[in-house]
Amino acid sequence: MTDQLNALGPAAARPLAAQITARERQPAGDAVDSQPAGAATGPPAPGGVTAVGRVLGTEDATPLMFSVALNQDAYLQLDDVVVTVRAVPGVGPVMTAGVVTQVRARHEGASFGSDVFLISEGVLPAHVQEIAEVTTTRVEPECYVPPRPGELARRATGIERAQALYFDDMDHKVPVGLGRDGSPMYVNLDFIDGTRGAHVSISGISGVATKTSFALFLLHSIFRSGVLGARAVNAKALIFSVKGEDLLFLDHANKRLDDDLRDKYARLGLPAEPFASAGFFAPPLPGDLSGRPHVAGRTGGVTAFWWTLAEFCSRELLPYVFADAEDDRNQYTMVVHQVAARLRRDAGPAGTDGAVVIDGDTVRTYDEMVDLIVDKLSDEATRPDWAGPVTGLGTINAFIRRLRSSLRALRTVIRGDLPDAPGREISTGNQQVTVVDLHNLPERAQRFVVGVVLAAETARKEAAGPGSLLFTMIDELNKYAPREGSSPIKDVLLDVAERGRSLGIILIGAQQTASEVERRIVANSSIKIVGRLDPAEAARPEYGFLAASQRARATLAKPGAMFVSQPEIPVPLAVEFPFPAWATRLSESVPPPPAAVSRPAGDVFSRLPRPTDKPDPADDDIPPF
Amino acid sequence: MTTQSAAGMPAPMRFTVDSWDPAYGSSLEFEDDLSESTARVIVGAEVPEDQWRPIPAAPATSGPSALLFVDGVRRIEARVWIDGSPPSPTDPGASAAMCASYAAGVLCCCAAGAHLLTTQTRRGLFTIAPHAADVVTSTGTYRASKTSPSPAVSLPMTLSAALQRRLGDLELATAVAARGGLNGHAGPPESDLLVIDGPLRGRQHLPRAIGFIKSHRTSYLPPPLHAMVAALADGERTPVFLMGTSWDRHAWYLRLPCPPGAPWSGIVRIECSADLPRADVITLASMSQATLCRYASTEYKDPRAPQNLYPIAGLERELRRRLGDPRLLYRALRSAAVA
Ligand SMILES: Nc1ncnc2c1ncn2[C@@H]1O[C@H](COP(=O)(O)OP(=O)(O)O)[C@@H](O)[C@H]1O
Ligand SMILES: [Mg+2]
Ligand SMILES: [Zn+2]
Repeated sequence: MTDQLNALGPAAARPLAAQITARERQPAGDAVDSQPAGAATGPPAPGGVTAVGRVLGTEDATPLMFSVALNQDAYLQLDDVVVTVRAVPGVGPVMTAGVVTQVRARHEGASFGSDVFLISEGVLPAHVQEIAEVTTTRVEPECYVPPRPGELARRATGIERAQALYFDDMDHKVPVGLGRDGSPMYVNLDFIDGTRGAHVSISGISGVATKTSFALFLLHSIFRSGVLGARAVNAKALIFSVKGEDLLFLDHANKRLDDDLRDKYARLGLPAEPFASAGFFAPPLPGDLSGRPHVAGRTGGVTAFWWTLAEFCSRELLPYVFADAEDDRNQYTMVVHQVAARLRRDAGPAGTDGAVVIDGDTVRTYDEMVDLIVDKLSDEATRPDWAGPVTGLGTINAFIRRLRSSLRALRTVIRGDLPDAPGREISTGNQQVTVVDLHNLPERAQRFVVGVVLAAETARKEAAGPGSLLFTMIDELNKYAPREGSSPIKDVLLDVAERGRSLGIILIGAQQTASEVERRIVANSSIKIVGRLDPAEAARPEYGFLAASQRARATLAKPGAMFVSQPEIPVPLAVEFPFPAWATRLSESVPPPPAAVSRPAGDVFSRLPRPTDKPDPADDDIPPF
Repeated sequence: MTTQSAAGMPAPMRFTVDSWDPAYGSSLEFEDDLSESTARVIVGAEVPEDQWRPIPAAPATSGPSALLFVDGVRRIEARVWIDGSPPSPTDPGASAAMCASYAAGVLCCCAAGAHLLTTQTRRGLFTIAPHAADVVTSTGTYRASKTSPSPAVSLPMTLSAALQRRLGDLELATAVAARGGLNGHAGPPESDLLVIDGPLRGRQHLPRAIGFIKSHRTSYLPPPLHAMVAALADGERTPVFLMGTSWDRHAWYLRLPCPPGAPWSGIVRIECSADLPRADVITLASMSQATLCRYASTEYKDPRAPQNLYPIAGLERELRRRLGDPRLLYRALRSAAVA
């Protein structure tokens, strides 16, 4: 451990050592002459860094938490990074570094609330003392002794800041925003990409917590900071969008991009550019038989997606129709599986549009499919075959009611009446970022789509083996993986949460309230992020990783301000991430040159960002897949 | 323990620390007029006796640009016994002495607010033992301060008076230093007023200085005038009178604003130099009315209200803090004695 300290090089070693030798002894109380009224002003700390104060002695200093009394001419604010060094006999200098988690000021010499008036009238003397509470992030070398009261404390910059926040130890740093000091903050990629941990959970109030925006920024950072190296070529993102058409413009530059914003991206080492390689999927326009996508703002480059009835039958997609909380409480799960198996066995192709023939009947629409299933279950002759031999009528009728109620939700995305189009199947193969716009679909259909697509991607990744990364962003995760109950979709998500690390599927989940999301998913997320929180929510144990003051602050967080927690750093980092460089709505959009608007089918490669490193030929998943 | 003798020779001084409660005796008040009931008083210094009336505060004259409050605090840390040295038939036993801490400071009330200008802290060994040497402890050195015993006064009183003299000296030095260091931070030079907590004795020569006496043990005025003091309204003062005890000064009584209570509640006596011309004295007297009342404390915040002015209470608190923790000092003295 001492070696580690030495390894910091002379720049760090000098201030540490020098400070200890130059540490002045307090005179021992005798004839303490002409003190300038207790108004401490900062002695220049050795090594050129000005101390901001001294470790406080009227409260316990502990290895994990201590306070700093600040010089009159200095200040510390929340999130500032502070270091102090003390000598430990036989060990040498021990540096304790931490993050300011609370700052307070008070009148010393005043005992009544009303004294403040006397003080400001110049009648009563008092001294304003500011005290910063520091939560330790790192002790180096690892000798857990408390900082000594009276030791100088200073703001950590440069290598000391990096050390305090473990950035010096990170081989793969993902910039996640700027700290209060204007310098970049990082997350260790090892805890995102599955090396040592995976998955990201983002919580906060809708509309102000900037969850979706941050998730996209994180993807931008992962893809474009260079942290993935050669892996960037094959890294993909699959985004389910549920809120308006916000994400349908992320390949367009943002009109609001100005020099100030460009500078923020530059400080983070990121290009201030939109996503260069993006594909967009939306459900078909209801009532339209030509297979146009149901979108309003964006005119080109969006592909309609649907599943054919043939796929519905052959892939046994029926269970994903029964993925609501109420389905979990019912007895008809057996019927669902029985019917799904029946469909797989009995359905044969009809025509080229994905329609099917079952027992001689041609089925072209979801409505017809539901009717057929109802008929089969109502007819005593076919019922045992379709529902299973011992199923009671009550259960069957419950199933029928639930099936019928799915008509409105699913008739647009399960089709046998649209001319099959080559790109209609949602796939991450042809672009780096795939956006699936669900906002025009009812919740039941949203669940169906997410469940089916995720299950397919998981199976595909499983077959391909590890090696490439797929980031899956799910907004309102609580709707798909609620804390209570079970459903086929929740099973897929749990599978991703638990095995995704080895499969290379990284879940980026966003939710208003982490307390409503399945515990095992939250627990499996190595990176926990919160934006603005509802006060009642902030008090829940799910946010126990936040320092007490951070919980309070999270209820006030402005858009763009997030607390980022990662396993290595004991205190979540407060960051501000820059406003999107890509358009988040039509009005912000600077459309790209017309040639690039529609997705050229054969020219996928040219639209992928060019990483500096050559792709490793051993990587799987070389596009197009 | 070893100490340095005056000749520079290492000379051992052995002492023991009495296990009495060091808090004892620290509350002894040292008003100088304990035994001065027979004061000479000339009541006509401002107006003839038959014209004595309460004098209301004059409408705002231009007051001092800064009020400099001077105060000192003292605390006996321990009573010690200094072993006789060399032991001789004439000096067989140990000599009682005391270790004390004391501090003086100046607080400035000016446009910038109430702020501490300077403080000085000292520790002393007060003794009559001629061979006494400094007591060095881990928390500071108690400088030996030798006093000759007086047959008329008890030893504790002698030592206590010696301490009080040292404190007075320190207050004086601190006041002079503070004034010298003002550098016009609060207005033009010589526009300040020095308010000394306690009698002005020994400090009469300081320019623009008044003494501020909070408690009254003796009535100096003839009975009818004495009765008038109790009749003063808030902010009113008596005419100036000259009084002489062991020393001479001008004085007047002033009632600080306070809720009605005992006849003398809120009454303070203010002193200034006997050598000042009459006009200057009257200026100081009306200045005291105009300026001091706003510093009077309220009874729920200070049991010694209103006489214990806020700035003085604050200054005293600051000074006490600077004396250090008495338990720590006592312990250090004990271990120094054992060493
Ligand atoms: N970095 C940022 N700084 C300030 N405002 C932002 C930032 N990023 C996004 N916003 C604004 O916040 C709004 C809400 O963001 P969004 O990500 O949709 O929130 P959520 O997903 O939590 O509902 C966006 O429409 C955008 O205008
Ligand atoms: Mg959102
Ligand atoms: Zn001043």
